Amino acid sequence: MDPRKVIALLLGVLLAGAAGAFAGGEAEQAEPDPDDPVTVRVMGYGGQDPRIKADLLENVIGDHLEAQGIRVDYEPIEDDYNTMLYNQLSAGTAADVVYIPVETAPGIIATGMIEPLDGLTDLSPYLASLNESFTFDGQTYGIAKDFNTLGMFYNKDLFDEAGVDYPDENTTWDELEEKMRAIDDLGDDVYGAAFPAQFERMGAFAFANGFELDIETGEADLLDTALVDTVEWYTGLVREGVAVQPADMGQGWGGGAFGTGDVGIAFEGAWLLGYLGDEAPHLEFGTTYIPRSPHTGESGNFLYTVAYGINNQTDHLEASVAVLEALTSPEAQQHVLEGGLAIPSREELLELDYFERDDREAVANRTIFEGAEHGNVYGFQFGEVGTDWLSPVDAALSEIMTGEASVEEALQRAQRELDELLGR
Amino acid sequence: MDLYGTKYNEEPGGRPGLTFNSLKRSTQEQISAYLFLAPFLITLAVFFLYSTGRAFYFSFTDYNLFADPNWVGLENYLSLFRQSLFLRALQNTLLFSVIVTTVQTFLALVMATVLNQRIRGLAFFRAAYYIPSIASSVVITLIFMWMYQRRGLINYLWTEARRHAPIILLFIALVIVLQVAQVIWERRRGYPARWVDPALFLISFTVGAIGTLGAWVAGVVSVRPLPPVDFTWLATRVRLPGWAPSFLRVPVPLVAIMIQNIFTTIPTMMIMYLAALQGIPPSFYEAADIEGASVPQKFFRITIPSVRPVTFLVVALSLIGTLQMFDQVAIFGDAVPLESVITLSYYVYDRMFPGAQLPQVGLASAAAMFLAILTMLAVLVQRVFIKSEAE
Repeated sequence: MDPRKVIALLLGVLLAGAAGAFAGGEAEQAEPDPDDPVTVRVMGYGGQDPRIKADLLENVIGDHLEAQGIRVDYEPIEDDYNTMLYNQLSAGTAADVVYIPVETAPGIIATGMIEPLDGLTDLSPYLASLNESFTFDGQTYGIAKDFNTLGMFYNKDLFDEAGVDYPDENTTWDELEEKMRAIDDLGDDVYGAAFPAQFERMGAFAFANGFELDIETGEADLLDTALVDTVEWYTGLVREGVAVQPADMGQGWGGGAFGTGDVGIAFEGAWLLGYLGDEAPHLEFGTTYIPRSPHTGESGNFLYTVAYGINNQTDHLEASVAVLEALTSPEAQQHVLEGGLAIPSREELLELDYFERDDREAVANRTIFEGAEHGNVYGFQFGEVGTDWLSPVDAALSEIMTGEASVEEALQRAQRELDELLGR
Repeated sequence: MDLYGTKYNEEPGGRPGLTFNSLKRSTQEQISAYLFLAPFLITLAVFFLYSTGRAFYFSFTDYNLFADPNWVGLENYLSLFRQSLFLRALQNTLLFSVIVTTVQTFLALVMATVLNQRIRGLAFFRAAYYIPSIASSVVITLIFMWMYQRRGLINYLWTEARRHAPIILLFIALVIVLQVAQVIWERRRGYPARWVDPALFLISFTVGAIGTLGAWVAGVVSVRPLPPVDFTWLATRVRLPGWAPSFLRVPVPLVAIMIQNIFTTIPTMMIMYLAALQGIPPSFYEAADIEGASVPQKFFRITIPSVRPVTFLVVALSLIGTLQMFDQVAIFGDAVPLESVITLSYYVYDRMFPGAQLPQVGLASAAAMFLAILTMLAVLVQRVFIKSEAE
């Protein structure tokens, strides 16, 4: 027998077997029926999300969904969520309900694989600014599951020791700088603030100073004086040693640096609360808004959020909508908020008693919640290039902070790189 | 041979038909050979041949995983060379490959030669030198990332070395002076003393150490109060050396990766050389000794030509490995500016899985094809090069 025929035969058998196996897996479109439950797959982040979802399903929404004949299967992705989502969407294996991070939303929605939600569910109860981040060409593709902004976390003990007042919502950059210098003087290893070389943090100051960014396209003028002045102030404090890059303290992020107790101020979101609770439970901290620019008198902020969207290849559209509604229901959001885990996206929950409490976690959550409408706030979004937008700007900040390039040089180069990125 | 014993074929009453046993012996053997090969052949066909073919096809399209691919001809290949990130990746890859291959081949041979001597604790040294190769490259990369921090181990050692420079230099100077003095004295007395005589060196070392300690205590030399070295290894775009033309300057973070890569790959190459060295007949060296050859002469005239086939293997493996270097760039990740460390294979990955935007499958495939051709060319060229020298 010709060896080629043998190979052909083998391959044929293999393919036939594979085809048979796949053919059997075809699911049927079915109405939800309590006696024959459908399973809706939800894909999202790992970390603490699987625990939150399990808790929600068990204690809040599980029974309600089960009565409609729906079971929920949460599939956490521990790392590189976006890559996984793109691959699964293209291969047709993505879950029915998926997370859509705000920073990658333009690209994900451009795949044409996400179902518009207009007409499927009521979008009005959610904060308008959040819906806006997931609206393209007049159609809304995601409902924010929760959100975060940045707040200014300050170490009360260091402020007391330095004999300076705590910052408040009217503090300007100049006043903040004085406070930082006083704290920095406390010792060699003590710094006024953690300033990472990242637009993710510096950007909030730039927005306060009037810097404008077109979040739908990513277009920006990096040589605008509003940005240049901010960069000079921000990097200048690091050059002087008044503020510190977290990496220089061996920490990966501002929150880590703050947790050491040697840093007066860090700019982080509500995610810092959990970290401090675990790593620095005795650190006395307060929270207030991002300080105001002395030029504009405004504060600034980023809006970080993740939405639930529906894969338009789903076999269970109706059930998926029901799951999406349950996950973002008032009961579910209140439960998550009171667990101190995330800030709700429903407008009505602003009135909750929780936000009136004066323990430090509730104050921090309230500050971050209200940060969404305090001053010049931009969604954490950069057009279809997504977070690639940040690389040239972050590189420039790093170069300036280490003294490799002047502010002007570095920003000019960043602008060139950004133009190339947006042009491709 | 007799896996399918002849007995069954010759059974009385056995009908000729299409059963395995009725086939000719040679055909039977072929079929069974292919059956045994099948798992590998199928894997190869699916994950290598098929995917290479698909990538080749995609490299001529604008495929993005979602829209149907459109034929764009050579457009992807042309636009590669218009992208500064790709050109940077190409430059980084070539520099990385040439420098790492040269340095690690040379050092591996030197280390193998040293470990081929009969010295005390040989087994220990061989094992110790091999450990970096067994450890996971991810773990080593993470450890190196800590050492490269601005307040990390490397800058710390550098700082301490600079601070103690007067003491260290005094010690070295004392040892050299003492050694030279002793050797000259011995020779005057008519003894044949070598410059590196170990017994005299022991005396120079001890006396030098005591002398330095004395000078330190007496305050003749002291630790200089210098600020800590603040060299940025990772988050930097500086390219060195400054005097070189710009296409030969190596980004500092890439140097960091080179150091780490050389450190982890040398031992593997060293083992290969060690095996080759042990195959050299000792009579070669004995003959050379009788002729009065020096140590360097023996190294260059006997050792290097004898291990030439292994050198080919080592250089080929090293070229292929370095041209396709990926993991260290991926792990260094956000700690370094991408353009400083990006390599061709990381470029392919970056365009294929941008994470935040639609995949550029066409561009990624074109870059992958380019990398494949480059690798084949590099190995061919060095093969011709080493062969022609051997003849």
